Amino acid sequence: MIEVKDLSHQFELGKKGKKTTIPVLKTVSFMINKGEIVTLVGRSGSGKSTLLHLISGFLPRQTGTIILNGQDVTGLTETAFSQFRLGTIGFIFQNFQLIQSMTAYQNVELPLILNGVSETARHVQTLNTLAKVGLEGFEHHYPSELSGGQQQRVSVARALVLNPLIILADEPTGSLDSETERDLLDLILELNATLHITFLIITHDEEVAAIGHRSLAMHDGQLIDGEVN
Amino acid sequence: MRFKDQVYFVRENMKKNKMRIFMTVLATAMGTAFLIVLASVAFGLHGTLIKEILQQETINQVNIYGKEDAEGSGITDQDITYFESLDNVRAVKKSNRLDQAPQVVINDYAATADVVAVDFEALEKGGTTLQSGRYPRAANEVVVGVDFDQTLVEIGADDNAIYDEENERRATSYYQGKLVDQTLTMTIERQIDPDTFEEKAFPLTIVGVKEEPAEEWQRDQSVTISYALLQQFSDYTQTQNAALYPPDENMTFSYQEIALQSDNLEHVTALSETLNDEGYFAYSVAAELKQINLLFTIAKAGLVFIGTIAIIIASIGIFNTMTMAVTERAPDIGIMKAIGASPKTIKQIFLLESSFIGILGALIGTAVSYLISMLVNVGLPLILGTVFEDTVPEGFKFSSIPPSLVLIAFLICLIVTLVSGSRPAKKATRIDVLSALRREL
Ligand SMILES: Nc1ncnc2c1ncn2[C@@H]1O[C@H](COP(=O)(O)OP(=O)(O)O)[C@@H](O)[C@H]1O
Ligand SMILES: [Mg+2]
Repeated sequence: MIEVKDLSHQFELGKKGKKTTIPVLKTVSFMINKGEIVTLVGRSGSGKSTLLHLISGFLPRQTGTIILNGQDVTGLTETAFSQFRLGTIGFIFQNFQLIQSMTAYQNVELPLILNGVSETARHVQTLNTLAKVGLEGFEHHYPSELSGGQQQRVSVARALVLNPLIILADEPTGSLDSETERDLLDLILELNATLHITFLIITHDEEVAAIGHRSLAMHDGQLIDGEVN
Repeated sequence: MRFKDQVYFVRENMKKNKMRIFMTVLATAMGTAFLIVLASVAFGLHGTLIKEILQQETINQVNIYGKEDAEGSGITDQDITYFESLDNVRAVKKSNRLDQAPQVVINDYAATADVVAVDFEALEKGGTTLQSGRYPRAANEVVVGVDFDQTLVEIGADDNAIYDEENERRATSYYQGKLVDQTLTMTIERQIDPDTFEEKAFPLTIVGVKEEPAEEWQRDQSVTISYALLQQFSDYTQTQNAALYPPDENMTFSYQEIALQSDNLEHVTALSETLNDEGYFAYSVAAELKQINLLFTIAKAGLVFIGTIAIIIASIGIFNTMTMAVTERAPDIGIMKAIGASPKTIKQIFLLESSFIGILGALIGTAVSYLISMLVNVGLPLILGTVFEDTVPEGFKFSSIPPSLVLIAFLICLIVTLVSGSRPAKKATRIDVLSALRREL
C-alpha cells in the first residue's frame, strides 16, 4: 500500500553564497502492506515528519520513489497530487488542524464538498462519520467549544469521511491526556479492524507504538531494521 | 468542488468581514455609478438631438443650393429633369424667393409680404398638406402661411391700437376675417432707371392656408405663389425673381432652392452623396446625422474611459481587501490544501469572491445611476427654469441609460475586479501547506 524506495531529502539553509545543506533523509526504503498499522518512532529531529510530508506531497520530492496504492506519485503535478490525496489519504495531526470558524459538522463535511458530493449525500455521510467517532450531538459545536479529545475525533472523522485507504498520523496523541489517548487508540484499532485502513503513525509514545503491527525506527535520517510486535 | 458550494463558501467568507466588504463594494458602486452617470449624459443628449432631428419635416430631404459649373447659371429646368430621373426621389420641391417685399392688401388691411414661389404640383405630390382650402390651380391663386393674419394691419389705425407698451402686436389688431377666397392685391414695383420707380397692382385670390410649421416657435407669415405668377412679375420687372434693379437684357431663369423629397433616411444619405459627386451643392440633415453620431460615439467612448479610471481606483480597494482576506485565511487555506483542495479550486474561490464584490458594486452602482439620472432629468429643467428662467423643450433628456451602457459598465467592472483579484488569488494558491499548518504565515 505504501512503498518507499531510496528516498533522500535535504534542506537548504542560508542565503545565496552562504548556503548550507542539511541532509535529513538518507536513502530510506520500506514497504507497508494493506491493512497494516505501522508506527514510526525515533528521536526528535530524526526526520520522521519529513518522511511523512514527502509521502503526503507537502514537500517536493528530491530523489527516490514513492508508490501509494500501486500508483507512482512522484511524478504527479500539484493538482493531480491534491486530487489523489483527497481520495486516498486521510490525515490526523498533532494539533488537530481544524478550521476554527467552522462547526464540527462543517469541518467533517469539507472533504465531501471538495470532492463534489451532492448536498443530500453529504448530509448522510457527515452525520454517519461523526456518529462513528462518537460525536453525536456535537455537530454544531465549534472547535473552541470542544475538548482536545473531541477535537481529535472531529479530525479523525474528517480523515475518514471519504473512505481513505491510508491514514497518516503525525503524533496524533501528542496533545491528549492519557485517558483520551487510550480512546483514540481504540478508535484507530477499530477502524483498522472494520474498514482495513492502512495506518502510518509517527509517535514517540510507547503506548502508541504498541498498537502497531510493526514499528519502524528512524535514526539520523536512516531506518533501523523494523521490529514486529 | 461544485459551483454552488463555491458560492456558499464565498458567501460565508464574506459574512465574516462585513464592514470591510461593505466599504469595498461601496467604492466599486461609486466607481460604476460615476461611469454610468457620466456616459449617460452623452447618451441622453445624443438621443434628444437625434429625436429632434428625426422630427423635422426636412429629414427626408436633400437640399440643393447650386452647382459647380463654369457659367454659374444655377439650377435650370435641365437639372430638374435630371433630379426627377433619379431613383428614390419622390418629389422635387423648387422655390424662389421674391427679391422685393411687395405691399399686399385685403379689404382694409395691409402688410408687407414675404413672397415665395413654389411648384404647387410637386408639393402636393410630395405629400405636403394644407390646413384649409386647396392648392392653387391658376396663376393668380395663392396660399398664405398660417400666421399671415398676424402681419396684416388695419389701414389708418392708431399705433396704440396696434402695438402694446413692449412694441409687440396686440392680438386684437390681427386680421380677424377669413382668408380663403379673399382677394389679395399685391403691388409689384419696378425700377426704370436708378431714380425712377413704377408700380403695378396684381389682384390675386387666396385659395388655401398652409399647415402649422414643424417647430412650435416657428412662424409662417409668407405668401406662396406659383412659378407662373413669378414669371408674370419678372416679365413686368425684367429682372430675375422680380428684383429691384435695372433690367437685365440677358436674364436667364434659375431655381434658387431645390429640395428633393425621398422616401427614407437611407436613400437620403445615398442621394446626397450621388449629388455631391455630380457637382451639386447638396445638403441633407441625414448626412449630417452620420457626423453627429460619430461625434457622440467619440464622446461616449471618452466618458466611459474616464469612468473606467474611477472603477480602476475602486479596484485598489478590492486588491487590498482580497490580499487581506488571503493573509487572514492562510491557515484555513493550508488545511484545505492539505486535505486535498486543488490550487485551481482555491483560486476559483478567491476570484469568485472578488467578482462578487464587483457584481454587487456594479448592481448597486447601476441602481444608483438610474436614480441620479432620473433626478437629473427632472431636477435640471426645474433648476434651469427657476434660476436662469430658461425653459427646456419638452421631452428633453440630459441623461439616459440604455441597457448597452449598463452592459458596458458591468463588463468593465467585472474585468477590472477580476484583474485586481487575480494576484491575491494566485497568492492563495501559492500558500505553502507546511508553513500554514505551523501557523507561520
Ligand atoms: N523547513 C525546514 N527547513 C530546514 N530544516 C528543517 C525543516 N524542517 C525540518 N528541518 C530539519 O530536519 C530535521 C528533521 O526534522 P523532522 O522531520 O521534523 O524530525 P522529527 O519529526 O523526527 O522530529 C530537523 O533537524 C529539522 O531541524
Ligand atoms: Mg516531527
